[in-house]
Amino acid sequence: MKTFTKFLGLAVVLLIAIVLAVLCGDYGPWYFAWLVGTTMIILIAVAGGVLFETQLETQKKGS
Amino acid sequence: MPLIDPTVVDLSRLQFALTALYHFLFVPLTLGMTMILAAMETTYVITGKQVYKDMTQFWGKLFGINFAIGVATGLTMEFEFGTNWSMFSHFVGDVFGTPLAIEGLMAFFMESTFIGLMFFGWDRLSKPAHLAITYLVALASNLSALWILIANGFMQDPKGASFNPDTMRMQFNSFVQLVFSPDAQAKFVHTSIAGFVTGAMFVMGVSAYYLLTNRHKEFAARSIRMAAVFGLISTLAVVTLGDALGRLDDLLQPTKIAAIEGLWHTTTSPAAPWLVAALPDDKTQSNVFEIGVPYVLTPLITHTFDKSIPGLIDLEGAAGPKILNGIKAIDALQQYSTTHDAASLATFKQYEDDMGYGFLAQQNAPNQDLNAITPAEMPAVVQQTELDTVPNVFVTFWAFRIMMFLGFYFIALFAFMAYFSLKNQLENNRFLLKLCMISIPAPILACEFGWITAEAGRQPWSVYGWLPTFQAASSHNVGYMVFSLIGFALLYSLFIAAELYLMFKYARLGPQSHDHAAPVAGTGALPMFAKPGFAAKSWE
Repeated sequence: MKTFTKFLGLAVVLLIAIVLAVLCGDYGPWYFAWLVGTTMIILIAVAGGVLFETQLETQKKGS
Repeated sequence: MPLIDPTVVDLSRLQFALTALYHFLFVPLTLGMTMILAAMETTYVITGKQVYKDMTQFWGKLFGINFAIGVATGLTMEFEFGTNWSMFSHFVGDVFGTPLAIEGLMAFFMESTFIGLMFFGWDRLSKPAHLAITYLVALASNLSALWILIANGFMQDPKGASFNPDTMRMQFNSFVQLVFSPDAQAKFVHTSIAGFVTGAMFVMGVSAYYLLTNRHKEFAARSIRMAAVFGLISTLAVVTLGDALGRLDDLLQPTKIAAIEGLWHTTTSPAAPWLVAALPDDKTQSNVFEIGVPYVLTPLITHTFDKSIPGLIDLEGAAGPKILNGIKAIDALQQYSTTHDAASLATFKQYEDDMGYGFLAQQNAPNQDLNAITPAEMPAVVQQTELDTVPNVFVTFWAFRIMMFLGFYFIALFAFMAYFSLKNQLENNRFLLKLCMISIPAPILACEFGWITAEAGRQPWSVYGWLPTFQAASSHNVGYMVFSLIGFALLYSLFIAAELYLMFKYARLGPQSHDHAAPVAGTGALPMFAKPGFAAKSWE
């Protein structure tokens, strides 16, 4: 039941995302670009942090 | 005695510019820091490492100081629309009030509520729930900026409204057109991401200070890594979006783009130079000296190699017929307001699109009365009004260039910092670290100059093509304006002093790990406000 609820929740999020993308894509291309771009900027910054930890681990193993 | 006192108008402009520029010292940092906090907390949730939680809490504390003082400085501007710009509020209040009201709801309900949860919810919410709250804070702060920029977008390119001759006001036609106006869209994205750059530079600069003083090194190295990557991509996005905004200005506000480029004469060939530096003289309508790069201007502005770009002198000439039409529109409107006859309305509708130019001519008419212009005086009034249709070129030209040069400097700085962070060689580059430290205020300056470019370039209009700035002001006496201007300047300077004092104090103290610390008397169990100096740095 828990998995099913989670699935339903994610399906709703997906639906909202698709509707938002279609609406924004048609009427507000720059708003859509902001949503996608900001998400990308945050995720790449997060990747930078995670990479830092990986580099640190590698250094520790090497020394 | 003239109906509109130009000194009062100038003082009203100065007061609004002053309060807006003061307020804008805080806004970009808020916009950017919330997103960086979201990135740091995401890393905490993914990696589970305590240092990222401490990073979110420490930078969150500095964000909190900035937010608390920044909100107070923004309040006065909304009141100024009523006190100093009552004609503006009367003319476009039906349209302008809506986004402003939504902004108030966003800032004071959504944003403030979630900020409370973010600060005080660390021990009360699960990790994912707190992360969701941090994202909502980031979204809410940027959404409140969105509504202000939608309102400003209407001033730059009035979409979604039309003039009603019965009420003598602009009235809403379409909320969708207002919200999805291309100018509002491009301006929001450009401004919001400029805030990201400001936040990234702040985190990088303060962290560089820790590395230079040999403190909190692990904390600082991680902060710099995330801020440098975040800032580099954001700056690249800001420059790209600035180009989009320039293209829109070329289509919608040719006088602004000509002023930005110091362009007095229409370009005739694709070889037209883009001016790196020049000394525009508004009085002689020429550039005293200029240094340009050929073949850059045309593709930069028009995104083609063959279109011409109209110069200011030609744009002034093109305004002549519009001024004559505008005077006819005002005349018909005056008749209609007393007779309400169909003939006057039809005449008004014929010249309605140029009505704003009629308002603009009013300041050059005898006793500011268009009806008092004799046929012999008309050419002189039109000629004088033509000169009034262009903004101050020197200010617009240099405000834009300072912003743009700073933007390219940020790309280089973030790129070097990201590179040396990836190579783990940050501490060897003390010069670069010092540069980061002294560059902390630079993005804020770039934002201020960007704002000056947008607003000074829109002149002489408060609503482009519809309402001249001098007609938008309230009728006050000069003494009242001087008194309130001095009051604002003193009060806002106090705010700035408080901000700088608190920021320097808490940035100097640096981050603390609060996990194993006992609460100090008076601080309760609130980790965000725990007093520094007692905690173990578990991640070093």
